[in-house]
Amino acid sequence: MVLQILLLVGLVLFSVMAILVKDLLKAAISLAVASLLLGIIFFRMNAPYAGVFEISVVAGLITVLFMLTIALTKGGDSAESKVASFAFPAFFVVFIVIDALIMKKLIQKVPALPGPEEAGTFGQVLWNTRTLDLVGQIAVIFAGVFAVLALFRKGDKKDE
Amino acid sequence: MIFLFIALPLVVAGVLPLLGKVSKRVLPDALANAVLLFLLVESVLLGKQLAATGPFVQQLSWLGEPVNLRLALDGFSLLMLFAVSLVGLCVGIFSIDYMEHYGSKANYWALFLIMVAGMNGLVLSTDLFNVYLFLEVAAVASYALVAFGLEYDELEAAFKYLMLSVVSSAFILIAIAVIFGVTGSLSFPAVARGLQDLDTKYVVGFCSALFIMGFGLKAALMPFHAWLPDAHPSAPAPISAMLSGLLIKVSGVYALTRIFFNVFGMTPALSTVLMYLATLSMVAAAFLALGQKDIKRMLAYSSISQVGYIVLGLGLGTPLGIAGGLFHLINHALAKGLLFLNSGSIQQATGTRNLDEMGGLAKRMPVTAAANLVGSLAIVGVPPLNGFWSKLIIIIALVQAGHLGFAVVAVLASVLTLWYYLLIQRKAFFGKLDERWKDVKEAPFWMLASNVILALLCIGIGIFFSLTIKTWIRPAADALVQGVRLAFGTWGM
Repeated sequence: MVLQILLLVGLVLFSVMAILVKDLLKAAISLAVASLLLGIIFFRMNAPYAGVFEISVVAGLITVLFMLTIALTKGGDSAESKVASFAFPAFFVVFIVIDALIMKKLIQKVPALPGPEEAGTFGQVLWNTRTLDLVGQIAVIFAGVFAVLALFRKGDKKDE
Repeated sequence: MIFLFIALPLVVAGVLPLLGKVSKRVLPDALANAVLLFLLVESVLLGKQLAATGPFVQQLSWLGEPVNLRLALDGFSLLMLFAVSLVGLCVGIFSIDYMEHYGSKANYWALFLIMVAGMNGLVLSTDLFNVYLFLEVAAVASYALVAFGLEYDELEAAFKYLMLSVVSSAFILIAIAVIFGVTGSLSFPAVARGLQDLDTKYVVGFCSALFIMGFGLKAALMPFHAWLPDAHPSAPAPISAMLSGLLIKVSGVYALTRIFFNVFGMTPALSTVLMYLATLSMVAAAFLALGQKDIKRMLAYSSISQVGYIVLGLGLGTPLGIAGGLFHLINHALAKGLLFLNSGSIQQATGTRNLDEMGGLAKRMPVTAAANLVGSLAIVGVPPLNGFWSKLIIIIALVQAGHLGFAVVAVLASVLTLWYYLLIQRKAFFGKLDERWKDVKEAPFWMLASNVILALLCIGIGIFFSLTIKTWIRPAADALVQGVRLAFGTWGM
């Protein structure tokens, strides 16, 4: 119980920090820590799949993408961008390796989802009973991608 | 094949940016409008099928293996599909000329079609989480579309809209989680069954409150309306028309009524809460609209006020009240779409949205002025235009149910509506032509075409209102009147 409260307090603290901290890099790291804590909470509440995705995708992958973007957009200083072009792909590879190892271990330990109606393996549940969610997910991703494309289009507002 | 309503816009949206590399304007314009036209024809055909078979559920399979793509069609969802396709097509035609100077048209169409797909998905799904998901699809696309011009106030409005939408999504998600926790299911029939069997009065009350806050924010009901007068005026005119005409109704009013009527079952307490909120919106927003100088801001407040009428009719819960609310929903979608498009024509011609700077534009833009007059009178409820009949039905329903007070307020709010629409008409179109506007030209062809189509629809539905009610409104009202029986019967366990 105490651990649970500590985890929740930590989650709130790091989430608030992610918003308040001025430095983007520190904010991204705070967000990663927050979602790591959330992943642990998921595990402790018997939602291992949610935990796996939270830790690998949100704490891992998205943080890498954030850092990459921050490094690439801190333009002006050429020395820094050189470091960025080396360090971040390397970091990315390391992340993928670690992620692959952890995921494999975790997936083996994860039991099938409980519940009378939606029993079955994760894949079965996702594919057979929540198919429309997959369509919706694709649509959300589309919307996100096109939103980024539209909002960050170059200054060619009048492309005549 | 009702899955096409979701899949087709999505697939075309996916390929549009690639096609945009080949042809910057013509191909995206043609393809997107062809999709919208196809969906409109399809929805009319489905209407015929529905009249023959009654409400049905379609279960799709993937390569012979059954997957859980269950989409349900009844009168209510068909009415919304029809409205989305019809107003979407008119807005699409308008966008051909209007979006020319924004650039990046393929991207615009992609987002537009995703918004349409999101709304269609929401309307067709029979599962609480699907509803939430498609709500987000339409919302994410709409944030980007509000900010599409990339000017300062557009980005600010989009950000405000995003923040308040996130709050509303959080309310909705919490309510869904609670329902899942109690009933162990998300699909409408199972939830309806679970809530009936378990005697969960307090849970339903708590979730209803959350849903009213969440969907009320989406529908911009009065205490939750703050985002709309910023977001809708700042967006490009076609997007304002889509948001005010369709999005607030699909993701707010439709979702709310669907869940309250067909899943929870309408109770007198819920009905009372909705009617008071609706009356507050109706009156307060009308007063706020009076004080506006920005034409689009005035229209945005008017949307809040008219959503009040719709929710008042639906909240009343009698068959006649529901029919009136649904009829007003369609009429307002058409008329407000028309008025927002008109405001776009004015803004493009004069470069301003300030009513005080305009004047006498009817001499230079006669068609736009005439269309604007039709749209205004339709919303105000002047016979024989469409808005008259829907308001009349709502007021008759209120009187029949013994709510004389509400009926009087509804009539008085209509007078206020007339007042501020005459203000627009007088300040923008009548009077002496300002020296500055002597070179102003009438709007380009496609923009005029869509305005004229919408104006003709407002007149046509007004004249053939009994036919409209028979073919579109009554099946929709029937679906809602059935209440939870629809969940047990058609949607099945």
